Amino acid sequence: MNTDLRYSPSHWGKNLVLLVFHLLMGVYVALIFYPLFNMVVSSLKTTREIFQNPFGFPRTFQWQNYWVVWVEKGFYRYFGNSLWVTAVSMAFVLLFGSMASYGLSRYSFRLSFLLYLLFLSGIMLPLKAAIIPLFILVKSLGLMDRHLSIILIFIAMGLPSTVFILSGFMKTVPKELEYAARIDGCSDLSIYSRIVMPVSVPALALVTIYNAVPIWNDFFFPLVFIQSDRLKTLPVGLSSFFGQYSTNWSLLFSGLSIAILPMLILYLLMSNYFIRGMTAGAVK
Amino acid sequence: MSRRSNGIVALLLLVSAVSLFAGGSKEKSETPTPGASAPAAPKAAPAPSAAPVVIQFWTWRPEDVAVYNKLIGIFQQQNPGIQVVQTAHKNTEYNTILSAALSGKSGPDVFQSRAYGGLESFAQSGYMEPLENWVPELKDFSEAARRGATSIKDGKIYGVPFASQTLFVYYNKKMYQKLGLSVPSTWDKFLANLEAMKKAGIQPLANGAKDGWTLEVMMGALAPNFYGANEFFNKVIKGETNFLDPKFVQAIDKLRDLIPYMPPMYMGVSYTDMQAAFINEQAGHFIGGSFEAGYFSSQNPDLQYDFFPGPSAKEGEPNYVSTYADGNFSMNAASTKKAEAAKLLRFFASKTTGEAFIKELKQVSQVPGIDPTANPFIAKVLSVQKHSTPYIFLVGFRYQQPTGSSLAQAALQGMFAGKLTAAEVCKQIQEGIATYYKPFQK
Amino acid sequence: MVLSKDLQKSLWITFFVLPGLVIVALFILLPLFLSLFNSLFSWNQLIRGEWVGFGNFRRIFFTSPYRERFFNALRNNGKWFLVTMLVQNILGLVFGYLLSRRIPGHGFFRRTFFIPVLFSIVAVGFLWGLYLKPNGLVNAFLKLVGLEEYSRAWLGEESIATFSIIAVNIWRWVGFPSLVFLAAIDAIPLDCLEAAYLDGARETQVFSRIVLPLIVPALTVITVLTLIGSLNVFEQIYTMTGLDGSPNYSTDTIGTLFYRTAFGSVDSGNPEIGIGSAIGVVIYLLTFLASAGFIAISRRREVEL
Repeated sequence: MNTDLRYSPSHWGKNLVLLVFHLLMGVYVALIFYPLFNMVVSSLKTTREIFQNPFGFPRTFQWQNYWVVWVEKGFYRYFGNSLWVTAVSMAFVLLFGSMASYGLSRYSFRLSFLLYLLFLSGIMLPLKAAIIPLFILVKSLGLMDRHLSIILIFIAMGLPSTVFILSGFMKTVPKELEYAARIDGCSDLSIYSRIVMPVSVPALALVTIYNAVPIWNDFFFPLVFIQSDRLKTLPVGLSSFFGQYSTNWSLLFSGLSIAILPMLILYLLMSNYFIRGMTAGAVK
Repeated sequence: MSRRSNGIVALLLLVSAVSLFAGGSKEKSETPTPGASAPAAPKAAPAPSAAPVVIQFWTWRPEDVAVYNKLIGIFQQQNPGIQVVQTAHKNTEYNTILSAALSGKSGPDVFQSRAYGGLESFAQSGYMEPLENWVPELKDFSEAARRGATSIKDGKIYGVPFASQTLFVYYNKKMYQKLGLSVPSTWDKFLANLEAMKKAGIQPLANGAKDGWTLEVMMGALAPNFYGANEFFNKVIKGETNFLDPKFVQAIDKLRDLIPYMPPMYMGVSYTDMQAAFINEQAGHFIGGSFEAGYFSSQNPDLQYDFFPGPSAKEGEPNYVSTYADGNFSMNAASTKKAEAAKLLRFFASKTTGEAFIKELKQVSQVPGIDPTANPFIAKVLSVQKHSTPYIFLVGFRYQQPTGSSLAQAALQGMFAGKLTAAEVCKQIQEGIATYYKPFQK
Repeated sequence: MVLSKDLQKSLWITFFVLPGLVIVALFILLPLFLSLFNSLFSWNQLIRGEWVGFGNFRRIFFTSPYRERFFNALRNNGKWFLVTMLVQNILGLVFGYLLSRRIPGHGFFRRTFFIPVLFSIVAVGFLWGLYLKPNGLVNAFLKLVGLEEYSRAWLGEESIATFSIIAVNIWRWVGFPSLVFLAAIDAIPLDCLEAAYLDGARETQVFSRIVLPLIVPALTVITVLTLIGSLNVFEQIYTMTGLDGSPNYSTDTIGTLFYRTAFGSVDSGNPEIGIGSAIGVVIYLLTFLASAGFIAISRRREVEL
C-alpha cells in the first residue's frame, strides 16, 4: 500500500527538479560532515597547530589530549553527571510535557488557549535573564549544590517547546480513534497512554532530540548552582578551557568531541522513529 | 458545558497549586534541609583545631589555576587552620555569576574583582568590604595601583591590586635583524619600518579590526603621544576639555596611517588570528598589552620578540605608554570568616605572591618593592612606565553605560571600515559620554 | 462514583496539565516576572532604587543613545526573521516533502540532517569563524573556482556580517523544519493521498491542495518557533561577532543589547538593570503578542479548513 507513495521516476521535468534538490542535499551533507571531521581532527592537534594548519591532518597525533581530558581533568566524572542530569530531566520533560499537551490539545475548554500561551511564554526570553531571582529561589528551597536544582530548571526549560510542538501534533490525531476507544470503555489515562502516545512517537522523538541537546550543552546553570567538583557537568568542565586572553582549543576540541558522542548516538536512535508515524497512522 | 468545565478547571488548578506550595513550605519549616546552608555548620563546631576553616576563593582566570594552587599551598602551610578552595569561572560569565551570588547573600569569601568602573558596581552596592583596616600593607602600594581599587564614591579601598598592564608595540626581533631595522622612536620612523617590511614581502602588522577592543588597545598604545598624554587626561576628566579637542581628533586620525600595513581584509581579522600571526612569525608587529607575553612564549618558545613604547610625534619627546590596573583581590562584605579572609588577602599583598606573578605568570605585580631583574621582560615594562598615562577610557570612562570604551570600539571599527572620519568618531564618543558624565554637561 | 461528567473532565484536565504547569510557573514564569518587575525602578549599580514607572521604557524609545541602539537592533531581528522564514523554512519544507516521498537516499538524509544541531554552539562559532575569516575556507573555495573577486571579510563587513551569521544559523537548523515537516506529512492519513493520486492529480497539486492544508499545525509550530527564535537570537552572535554586535553594531540584536545592558561586560560597563529589564520586557511583549496573534489566526484557519 505504501508503494503508492514512493517516488517514481516518471516525468523528465520532475526528474530535473529532483536532481537539483538531490545535489543541494548532497552539498549540505558534505557541509555537515566536514565540520564534524574538522572538530575531531582539531582535537588531535596542539593549539598552535590548530591555527597554523587549521584544515589539514595533524603532523603528530596528540592522542594524549583525550587522556588528559578524560582522566586528569576529571571528565569521566563530569560525563556521568551529565548523563544522569540529562536523562532525568528529559524523562520528566517527556512525561509532563506529553501529559500537558494531551490535556491542552484533546479537551476543548475555554481556558486551554490561555494555558497554552502560558506554557509557550516560557520560551520568550532566555531564563538567564532571571538569574538573580532564580538564585534566591533555589537557595531558599535548599537546592544549592545539588543536582536537583539544575534538573528542575532543565525540566522547566524543556517543557514550553515540548508542549508547543507536541500539542500541535496531538491535535492532528483523528478523533475517531479516541471515540472508538471510549466505546470500548477506555479511561482518559489509557487513551493517553495507549492511543495518542504511540501515534505521537515521531514527534516525541523529535522533541527528545530538540531538548536534550541544549540541556546536555548548557553550562551556565550548572556553573551557577553547582560548586562541588564531584557534581559538576561536562559543559562546566569544558568552560575551564577558556582563559581570559587564551583558550586551550586543543583540549577544548577533545572535550567537545567526547561531548557530542552521546547526542549523536541518541539522535541516530531517535531518527529511526521519525517515520514510524506513517505506519502507526495506517494501523487503523 | 464547556464554560462550566472551564471554571472548574481553573479552580482545581488553583487549589492543587496552592496546596502543593503550602505542603512544600511546611515541610521546609519542619526539617532544615541538610547541606542547604553551609554557614550553619560552624556554629555547632567551636573547636578550631579540629576542622580547618574553609574559605571560598573565586577567579576569572582558568588558565592560572595551577599557579594559584601553588600559592594557596604556601598560604596553607603558613596558616594551618585555614583551607582555601579555589574556583576559576569563565571570564565572560564571571561578573554575572558573581553578582547573582552576592545579591543572594552568598558567594565566595575572597574573589578577584575588576578595577575602576568594574569595582564600583560591587563596592557601591555594599557587597565588598573596605580593606584599609584589614590589610595594612595597602598603604605601601603605589598611588596608581590603589586608584584601580578605590571607589570614586566614598574614596575607600576595596581591593588588593594584583597586576598592572601596559600597552605598547611588540616586534619580531629576527625580522628586525634580517631587514636591518632599528627600534623606532618617532611615528615617521615607525611607518618607515612598516613600509620596509611590506616591501620585503612580510606582513608588517598583525592587528585586525574584527574585535573592537583590539582597536581600543591600538589607540591606547599609540594615541597618547599625539593627544598629549597626562595633560589631556587630567583636563578631560575635569571637563576642562572634551573629546572634540583637535588634538584628540588628530591623534585618532593618525591611526589611519596604519591601514595600508594591516592584513588583507583586516576587518575580518580577529584577536585570535592576530595572536596566531605574530606567534607563528607571519607578521612583524603586534600592537597589544603586557598581558600577551606569557601566551606568546608558551605557544612558541622560539619566538624572539621585544617591544617598544608608542612612538612620539617628534624626536626627543618622551614616549608615553598607557597603563591600567588589571584587577584586585576583594573580600565579600557578607563573609562570615572575615578574619581568615583578611589573612589570605594580606598574603596576596605579600612579596611571595608578587614574585609568583612575575615569575610564573609573567605579569607585572603591583606589590611594592619586588626586584624584577629576574625577569628582563617585566624589568623593561617597568622601565617604559616612567612615562605612563592612564589608559584613557578604561580608567576614566567605564563607570556607566555607554562606556567610553564601547563607544570608541564601535566608532573605531566604523573608521577603519572607511565609514567614519576621525572627527565623527570623536563626536560619537563625546555625545555618548555626555549623556551621563556631569563635567561634560556644563 | 457518581461524579458529574463536567467534574470528571475537569479532574482529568487538571491531572494532565498541572505537573508541567507548576514547574514552568515556579522555575520560569515566577523568576522571569520578578526580574522584569525591576524595569519599573531606578537602579544604583546592583541595588534597587526608587520607583520610576515607565521612565526606563521612555529612555529606550526616546533617548539617545539607547534609542538608536534599540531600533538598530530591532531592524536586525527583522532581517533574521525574514531570511530564516524565506530560506530556512522553505528549504525545510522542500526537504521534508522530498523525504516523505522516499526519494533515493532518504534514510541517510534523515539520519544526517539534524547533526549540526548536536554541535555545541561554541564549536559552531569557532569552526565557522575559521571558515569565514579572510584566509578561511570559504574564500579559498572562491579562489579555487575563479571567483576570487567575491572574497570578503564575511564577519567583518558591516553590510554582510549579519547575513553570514544567519547563513551559519540556517546551516545549523534547517534539519529541524525538515524533520518536523517530514513527521507531519507522514502523519497524513494515507487514504487522502491515495484518493488524490487515483484521481490523477499532479505532484504540485497534491502538494498544494492536500499536503499543505493538512500540515497547517506544523507550519504554525515552525513559524512561531522562528518568530521566537529571531526575536531572542543571542548565542550565535555572541560566539561569532561578540556581545557588542560588532562591527560597529551591525550585527547587534535586541538579545545582545539586552544582555550587555542588563548584565554589563568588561568593556561595555556595569549593569544597567533597570534599562536592561525594560528591554527584556519589550522583547517579551513583542514575542508574546506576535506569536499569540499568529497562533490565533492560524487556529481560525484550521477551523475553516
